[in-house]
Amino acid sequence: TMELNDANLHTLTEYLQKTLSPDPLVRRPAEKFLESVEGNQNYPILLLTALEKSQDDVIRVCAAVTFKNYIKRNWRIVEDEPNKISDPDRTAVKANIVNLMLTSPEQIQKQLSDAISIIGREDFPQKWPDLLTEMVTRFQSGDFHIINGVLRTAHSLFKRYRHEFKSNELWMEIKLVLDTFAQPLTELFKATIDLCQTHATDINALKVLFSSLTLISKLFYSLNFQDLPEFFEDNMETWMTHFHNLLTLDNKLLQTEDEEEAGLLELLKSQICDNAALYAQKYDEEFQPYLPRFVTAIWNLLVTTGQEVKYDLLVSNAIQFLASVCERPHYKHLFEDQNTLTSICEKVIVPNMEFRSADEEAFEDNSEEYIIRDLEGSDIDTRRRAACDLVRGLCRFFEGPVTAIFSGYVNSMLTEYAKNPAANWKHKDSAIYLVTSLASKAQTQKHGITQANELVNLTEFFVSHILPDLRSPSVNEFPVLKADAVKYVMTFRSQLPKEQLLETVPLLVAHLRAESTVQHTYTAHALERLFTMRGPNNSTLFSATEIAPFTEQLLNNLFNALAIPGSSENEYIMKAIMRSFSLLQETIVPYIPTLIGQLTHKLLLVSKNPSKPHFNHYLFESLCLSIRITCKANPASVLSFEEALFPVFTEILQSDVQEFVPYVFQVMSLLLEIHTSSIPSSYMALFPHLLQPVLWERTGNIPPLVRLLQAYLEKGGTTIAGSAPDKIPGLLGVFQKLIASKANDHQGFYLLNSVVEHMPPESIGQYRKQIFILLFQRLQSSKTTKFIKSFLVFVNLYCVKYGAIALQEIFDDIQPKMFGMVLEKIVIPEVQKVSGQVEKKICAVGITKILTECPAMMDTEYTKLWPLVLQALIGLFELPEDDSIPDDEHFIDIEDTPGYQTAFSQLAFAGKKEHDPIGDAVSNPKILLAQSLHKLSTACPGRVPSMLSTSLNAEALQFLQGYLQAASVQLV
Amino acid sequence: MEVNVELRKAKKDEQMLKRRNVGSFPVDASSPYQDQNQNAQSSQHWSVEDIISGVNSQSLDQQLQATQAARDYSLLTDISNTNSKLLSREKHPPIDLIVEAGLISQLVRFLALSECPPIQFEAAWALTNIASGTTDQTRAVVEAGAIPAFVCLVASPHPHVSEQAIWALGNIAGEYVLEGDGSTYRDKVIKHGAVGPLLVLLSVPNLSVYATSYLRNVTWTLSNLCRNKNPAPPLAAVQHMLPGLLRLLHHDDPEALADACWAVSYLTDGPNERIEVVTRAGLVPRLTQLLASTDIAVLPPLILTHLSIHLPQTPTLRAVGNIVTGTDEQTQGVLNAGALAFFPGLLTHRRSGIQKEAAWTLSNITAGKDSQIQEVIGAGLVPLLINVLQQGDFKTQKEAVWAITNYTSGGSVQQVAYLVQSGVLSPLLNLLSAKDSKTVLVVMDAILNIFMMNDSAPNRQAADKLGETEKLCLMVEGCGGLDRIEALQTHENEMIYKAALNLIEKYFSGEVSGCLTQPLGGAVVKKTMHPLLPKQQLTVTPSKFKTTKALSVSETL
Repeated sequence: TMELNDANLHTLTEYLQKTLSPDPLVRRPAEKFLESVEGNQNYPILLLTALEKSQDDVIRVCAAVTFKNYIKRNWRIVEDEPNKISDPDRTAVKANIVNLMLTSPEQIQKQLSDAISIIGREDFPQKWPDLLTEMVTRFQSGDFHIINGVLRTAHSLFKRYRHEFKSNELWMEIKLVLDTFAQPLTELFKATIDLCQTHATDINALKVLFSSLTLISKLFYSLNFQDLPEFFEDNMETWMTHFHNLLTLDNKLLQTEDEEEAGLLELLKSQICDNAALYAQKYDEEFQPYLPRFVTAIWNLLVTTGQEVKYDLLVSNAIQFLASVCERPHYKHLFEDQNTLTSICEKVIVPNMEFRSADEEAFEDNSEEYIIRDLEGSDIDTRRRAACDLVRGLCRFFEGPVTAIFSGYVNSMLTEYAKNPAANWKHKDSAIYLVTSLASKAQTQKHGITQANELVNLTEFFVSHILPDLRSPSVNEFPVLKADAVKYVMTFRSQLPKEQLLETVPLLVAHLRAESTVQHTYTAHALERLFTMRGPNNSTLFSATEIAPFTEQLLNNLFNALAIPGSSENEYIMKAIMRSFSLLQETIVPYIPTLIGQLTHKLLLVSKNPSKPHFNHYLFESLCLSIRITCKANPASVLSFEEALFPVFTEILQSDVQEFVPYVFQVMSLLLEIHTSSIPSSYMALFPHLLQPVLWERTGNIPPLVRLLQAYLEKGGTTIAGSAPDKIPGLLGVFQKLIASKANDHQGFYLLNSVVEHMPPESIGQYRKQIFILLFQRLQSSKTTKFIKSFLVFVNLYCVKYGAIALQEIFDDIQPKMFGMVLEKIVIPEVQKVSGQVEKKICAVGITKILTECPAMMDTEYTKLWPLVLQALIGLFELPEDDSIPDDEHFIDIEDTPGYQTAFSQLAFAGKKEHDPIGDAVSNPKILLAQSLHKLSTACPGRVPSMLSTSLNAEALQFLQGYLQAASVQLV
Repeated sequence: MEVNVELRKAKKDEQMLKRRNVGSFPVDASSPYQDQNQNAQSSQHWSVEDIISGVNSQSLDQQLQATQAARDYSLLTDISNTNSKLLSREKHPPIDLIVEAGLISQLVRFLALSECPPIQFEAAWALTNIASGTTDQTRAVVEAGAIPAFVCLVASPHPHVSEQAIWALGNIAGEYVLEGDGSTYRDKVIKHGAVGPLLVLLSVPNLSVYATSYLRNVTWTLSNLCRNKNPAPPLAAVQHMLPGLLRLLHHDDPEALADACWAVSYLTDGPNERIEVVTRAGLVPRLTQLLASTDIAVLPPLILTHLSIHLPQTPTLRAVGNIVTGTDEQTQGVLNAGALAFFPGLLTHRRSGIQKEAAWTLSNITAGKDSQIQEVIGAGLVPLLINVLQQGDFKTQKEAVWAITNYTSGGSVQQVAYLVQSGVLSPLLNLLSAKDSKTVLVVMDAILNIFMMNDSAPNRQAADKLGETEKLCLMVEGCGGLDRIEALQTHENEMIYKAALNLIEKYFSGEVSGCLTQPLGGAVVKKTMHPLLPKQQLTVTPSKFKTTKALSVSETL
């Protein structure tokens, strides 16, 4: 316990002071010290006292920040972990913090407000029942500094209602909040609006009042999000009337000079648009009487709002509101008048589609952001995007008139452009955008109801207005229009005829040389998309032969583009390189010796500081493709790849570049698998390192490392047994680690299966029993469907490799009658769950052996299981796979399921071929079963038919007859 | 026990829990014995003390007049509220006066005065209104031993007395109180043998011997005996009531019919075993016919003031909807009765409430076998469902999304292909912008199902699958879906952004054209994240999930 005295307060203040020091030698120890004492009782109280009593504002803020961080780290009580804050401290904090927050200056208020919401998230409402009442009481204070503090805190407490799933617990909380909060909030809302009138000429008062109104509107949104509360339904008139008035309100005093930053008026109106949109979308029935008013108000708002960036959010919210309303059948009438439509098109849509100077600046100076917004669809909040959505919305009912109105606009804008391209190029940009937004709607229709839109002729527009720009010999002239043209090709690639596209390819290749980052990036992206398109027979739309003539130019321009400043790690270009390799296949072989040098060089550079994950991924993919394509023609060239790559790989592994290590393992697996003879010594030298536990700590390493070890076992199982038998325990240690984890157990089985398949049996003889014991332990501690499936495959593979007798003996050796238990409790009930062709085949062959090559099945008490095992096997052949999951596995944490390991990026082109350990030895397992049963029956005449006729069900028997007939054998 | 928290106002569609006899239809329900005390002082002027002394007097006439006065007190309350008829739980001071004066036990005693039917009637009326009040008021009536007294009066030879007793029992049964032993007032009424005499009434050769209001009261009281779960009414009582309800389903008074349908809807709102009891009783064919009931619009406005609850369509649809939350066989019974033929009308119904329940019902049919999905297709409902998805109001869209997701989860490759060809993607993807997290997640499940369906299509070449996947990707991209999915990667809700991430990683990261193969033993559990969606109950009732087939994993070795 820390005494709450002056001495301690003094010490604390000193340390707080030190944490502000720019000198790390002073700062760090102070931070460490504070963390070391924060577990003491009274520490938070001491902090709050310092915050309250200190004369130094810097110390007060510092105490507030330290307090918030302390709360963030310690308040939550984690199950099975000690409670890090004593209960008296918790109570004291909760008793004082609200008051302290409300009486503090704004900077401190914000920190404490955050702290309250963190505490609230854990304790509210049950463990902090009086929080709300305490807050609501402050509404009466009349001090808007205090009121805004309350509102801000309430907002951070309630905003989660906007995204959480409905649950009784959540709704009970909301109900409680509504009961205490809704009425006072409404009163406050009304009072604040009155005060705005009283203080209409006092700018400082207005600023405070309008931030209150904005916060109140945000609270309205949170409280109304999950469902329409009874209180707000009853008070809709009050709220909506005021909201409507506020929307139409203008106050010169509140207009701001700033062009970029939204002012208070804009923020409030944006939130009101959101509120109206929420009601229109979710509570249509109740909101209907108010809706037309809001449409008019918002529509007027749009017509009178300027082009400045500060209005963007407001305008986009307002347009989105209209867009969501206009496609509802019962509001159609609000829009259908020709004058209304024309004026929406003219005054709302067209102005908001213009290419503004801010866009132009981004195009030139901030290309990365421009691309993300324009190409990758993060433009969801932009004006252009909202306008585009409104076009689509209007087209639902008014496609004809809207298209006609816009055709006029498009034509006049193109005419303007033609008159003076240099001055009027932005007109063409708008025209293209307009056509695109109109046609995209048609694209939906086309795919939806296979009904092509006749209103916009995409090909004609392409030929008259897009192709000329692409053909232009001056690549660097009007870069925005060039980028538009390229984007047009990309967007409508599936609508344009193949000949047109093919004609475009060399033009695009030329545009890769453009200086503008946006332009050459779009071009690379367009080529990449074109190369992935599929033709009618599902091969790629363009064949390698069709593209081959451009190979040299294409590859040159792509690699040169990587040298243009700003594009040295351009993921679109790298992806286009990968895609070109993949499409062109052996056509690239002559260029590889040069290109591999460039790729390796690039790899060396980026491995110093990997920052663009996508770029790096495609770089590795391109390396894999180079290897595959070249070695397919000439396997011996694998050596020259190893020569080129291993120095860089060594560097990456030695300096432990975490992002790249999994990739390196995958490329190495690919290389090793290409080798035809035994394992090269260079690989063997690395083998011990691969078993180091530290490598296996990182989940992202596990899949590629397992794959690499599998390649080692396949190519060098005998070598390992011969020259490195001391490494086998390490290998099995890896297996043991993997098998213990629900997430990675299947990887452990991959490894184990490879051991069984490729290691000489005698080399692992001494470990076998231990392996089985480990598996049983896992079965007992946590049995999952995934584990069972893998276990079944392993057991049967073991049976195939070592024989049924060996399998039975090893089980019964662990514990008498164990073999029977495994059959009864796992094989029979669960084999229907096994998925995958190869896996099913392994199980089928293994079970056949158990049935026909294991004397214990015929002569001991296991005999009673024989027909059941056979029945299960026939089920495996004939019944649909059982893909049901027990209830308690439905909610296995996502992190636990394969495929969700973001740290591991699987390389598609390092892909492994499906491996069938049984191979051609058994082509049809049903025939094998028939033949094996025949053999068994001749060995003990009469027994098999009698077991069949007494214990097998009729349906299974019928299937079995079919197999026997197909194999032309008879049982005796 | 499930608690269902609601933020909304009580549903207008729901049936009344309790009703007071406010004498708004004087000929039918107000005292036929009025003439007896016409010359007496107006009971309005009686003070509570007067009533107490009157009730306790030795004179039957005094007692009767005092009882009438007490009944008037019970009428006095919130006259302003009578047009709503739906009693809220506000205070009824005059009733409280009667309760506090300890008059109830005396009134209950009067119920047994069979030699004086007028006093039985007046007492029953007063008690009816008291029982229509707050939980405490109802409890006072019950604790005074009113239930057995009322049960005796059901068989009274005087129709007015009998009717009033039945009504009172309805009010008592409608009070949902869980007593210490887990039983409810409803079960107390049943335990005191109310069902028997009610069913006797319904066994006459022709139901039209009864006055309309009488039969309505019988039906309404029966419906309250069927109402509420946790616990559900005793099985034996339910089985006893079902033949009577079936009779009422064939009766032609719309109000009685509606209440009978409500009763069935309550009985079917429960586990499959409960649904089975109803289907076994042979109610499904008649219930299905009733889906075709007249639209509210054609009725005269006078009836409209009695609210839509008097039309059987809403409760019928609810009952049918409840039945299809059951097993595939139970659902099949509804399909065999031809229910789907009415759905074009229901899905395009003028009232959005009906559309919503229709979509909900379909969502549980599409959660069934693929042959049942085929019947939905055969009835031409897919385009209508998509239409609702596109332009229904939000609560309807929400149910339609479930219908689509269940369809994509259980449908065959061809069925899902048909759904996509019918244009489901665009409206479905639009709902990714819905302001409801659950809906967004369910939409993403549907999209994932559609993609996975293609992945797992048997008899299809890998290259074809790749081509189909690419086409799907283009379609999703083409209607702005990809933008929406990408925007969800920054959603505040963890499950939503993970689902968005998963979709993008799997299908939109552009790495489709490699040769991705599952390595040996690739025991990846395909459906872990997206199990077949359970059948769901309507959101206004506590949700119950159809449990997916449980695995018989044996105990550990």
